Amino acid sequence: MAAERSAQATWQGDLIHGSGEIHEAPSGAFGPLQVSWAARSEEQHGGKTSPEELIAAAHAACFAMALSNVLAKADHAPERLETSATVTFVPGTGITKSALTVVGVVQGMGEAAFKNAAEEAKTGCPVSGALEGNVELTLDARLQN
Amino acid sequence: MLANQASTSATGRATSVPRIERHANVVWEGNLARGSGLISAGTGAFERLEYSNAVRIGKGDEGKTSPEELLAAAHAACLATSVAGELTRAGSPPERIDVNANIVMDEVEGKGHLIVESQVRVRVRVTGIEGNAFRRIIEVADEGCPFSSLIKASAKVSIDAELEG
Repeated sequence: MAAERSAQATWQGDLIHGSGEIHEAPSGAFGPLQVSWAARSEEQHGGKTSPEELIAAAHAACFAMALSNVLAKADHAPERLETSATVTFVPGTGITKSALTVVGVVQGMGEAAFKNAAEEAKTGCPVSGALEGNVELTLDARLQN
Repeated sequence: MLANQASTSATGRATSVPRIERHANVVWEGNLARGSGLISAGTGAFERLEYSNAVRIGKGDEGKTSPEELLAAAHAACLATSVAGELTRAGSPPERIDVNANIVMDEVEGKGHLIVESQVRVRVRVTGIEGNAFRRIIEVADEGCPFSSLIKASAKVSIDAELEG
């Protein structure tokens, strides 16, 4: 099964004073979204997204799906998984880390088995596969049954 | 890139390079085949975007996003910023840069599903940069965009860049 997805962005002006826009997504699910260098590289984001936030969203989403699959194959389809990804960007160096967390509600499963499943999903998710080796990938998995 | 160097404080002591963190949250309910999830951005720029496996491997026209669409948006925005930075550094700030990124996920024998390719189209309106200098700018921008180097573990990044009148 292959999937292709595209997106478009426009930038106007120089890096520091200019600004960009991610066009409405071809799926129609989000956008247009404004981006700027200041919002990306400073702590104060002013409600604007950035490439790092979009990678975090892609990674958290990919990981949740992969984990639901690992759990379902072990006959423990989850009731609920709350995942997050935090991506660290060091201007001048690049993206250095994606930290995944998951809190799961999974009936009939122990903490150790859940942690193993989460580790497997972290490795197997296609977004992890693209990032593997280039950034530090960490995982914190907990059950909340 | 510009504006990236560690700054030196008034006292002459070097301050640390800023580390910027951005996060996103997802709530998923159910198994892979029939479950679905909601994606929210930490900045609030987008909230509760619904997605599911059927949508992820479907045509992408159902009004729902997917990890690959979010990666495409990240790559397009990242490269646009990086090209703007390199042109600015070269003394020719751009009038306009348009970037289209297409992310391909595929099943690879023995490796499962991987992000195998990002095909990027760049169109730039700028004065004062031409030919080899422009091509060099694009190469350096690709090397400098954290996203391009990030996904190269599994994906080939191809860039088609042209100047516009």
